Amino acid sequence: MFFRLPAKRRWHKSIQQNARPAGVLLCCALLAVLLSGCATSPALQQSTYQLPEHVELENVPFYPQEKYQCGPAALATVLNYSPATIPGSSSAWTATQAQGSERNTTITATNLVPQVFIPGRDGSVQPEMLATARRHQRIAYPIRPTFDALLEHVAEGYPVVVMQNLSLPAWPMWHYAVVIGYDLPDETLVLRSGETRRQASSFARFDSTWARSQRWGFVLAKPGRIPAGITPKRAVDAISDYESVHGIRATLSSWQALVAKQPQNAMAYFALGNAYYALDRPEKAEQAFKLATAADSTLGVAWLNLGLLYQAQGNTPKARQALEKAAELPGQWQQKARTALDKR
Amino acid sequence: MPYLRRYVAMLLIAVLMISSLPVAAAQTAGLVTTQSALQADTASSDRERINDVLARADVQDQLLAQGVSVDQVQERVAALSDAEAKQMADRLDAMPAGAGVVGALFAVFVILLVTDILGLTNVFPFTR
Repeated sequence: MFFRLPAKRRWHKSIQQNARPAGVLLCCALLAVLLSGCATSPALQQSTYQLPEHVELENVPFYPQEKYQCGPAALATVLNYSPATIPGSSSAWTATQAQGSERNTTITATNLVPQVFIPGRDGSVQPEMLATARRHQRIAYPIRPTFDALLEHVAEGYPVVVMQNLSLPAWPMWHYAVVIGYDLPDETLVLRSGETRRQASSFARFDSTWARSQRWGFVLAKPGRIPAGITPKRAVDAISDYESVHGIRATLSSWQALVAKQPQNAMAYFALGNAYYALDRPEKAEQAFKLATAADSTLGVAWLNLGLLYQAQGNTPKARQALEKAAELPGQWQQKARTALDKR
Repeated sequence: MPYLRRYVAMLLIAVLMISSLPVAAAQTAGLVTTQSALQADTASSDRERINDVLARADVQDQLLAQGVSVDQVQERVAALSDAEAKQMADRLDAMPAGAGVVGALFAVFVILLVTDILGLTNVFPFTR
């Protein structure tokens, strides 16, 4: 202790001497960072300029946020927006939706607070935003993290819930808002945000706040409807997550819609096959598994399920053929395919 | 109080485990389910299943500790997918929680005022 004390004092003194230059340096550095990082408009793809110049989904309701509860407010905003007004959607699936229950009329931000707000965090986290939508019979599809995708979804008629960090990364102010419109020539977005019913924000300002959440956002759709431009992987994951909560009967229409929208999506055919099989329609399941292997002949699990389906039907030659194919393909399903082959 | 919390947590774990069983049983008999096909690593589906249940129990405990009411917590956890439950079990504390604009410290206020004017942030409405 005695030996340390003088050393500490000297250290203290040197700090005092260096404090002013250090402060000046810090200010310069900060200024340089700020000036070099001046907000610029995001570069858009050429295809985005083919979208309508001005879109505003005026019918999207507004639920002003109270205290820290922008999560419940943003969710109530999109849950109460009727997708029936979405233009350009195929009428084949609207019939299925008409049968669906319409009991979402009483969702308010206040009702959603106990479902999605975490008092200890003074906020709502992303996984629970998606999960709460699921509880209200909506499938939440995370969007591609690009400005182009954001505008495309709005142009198609889907309001997009986005997560922004309104402040700087060092002092984050995480915020959920709903993008409901844009003006391409003006480069402005229109949002329902916080306590503001209609907030206009420049592309540049919005993008710099949105980029801090890795451009996270999602759109909601009823089962049986697939928004355009969702990646195959995200679409399959979103519907599968819904299925694990509401069961296979609730997602059959979504799988049908997904294979219609993304005919190259092998995993969607695979999931459709599983849904048909669980609903006791094996001939439809067989067809779907076949289409899955046709879309991607290296999808071992589809060959495996096709083989297992034939096996359950007692069709030994066809089962052997499919299972051998599954056993050939390297991956985690090889072993299960071999075990099934040995059973014969 | 800690005892009560422990008992409640144990009770909830038991209820959750039991209530999650029929879902597993109702899946496609014999075939590989969509959910297990989608899981990135399926070294052992049984072990996965146990891990999922533990992750859910963990999330439940964390949510209770963060002030979520007991009668809501079970339904909230049940609505999560396995991947989401794992994500939350691993890093709920570090996860960004959307809250909106909250009062900032004065030192920060000045910096944010400048960045707001530069269009990098969106904290103060009067800068627009």
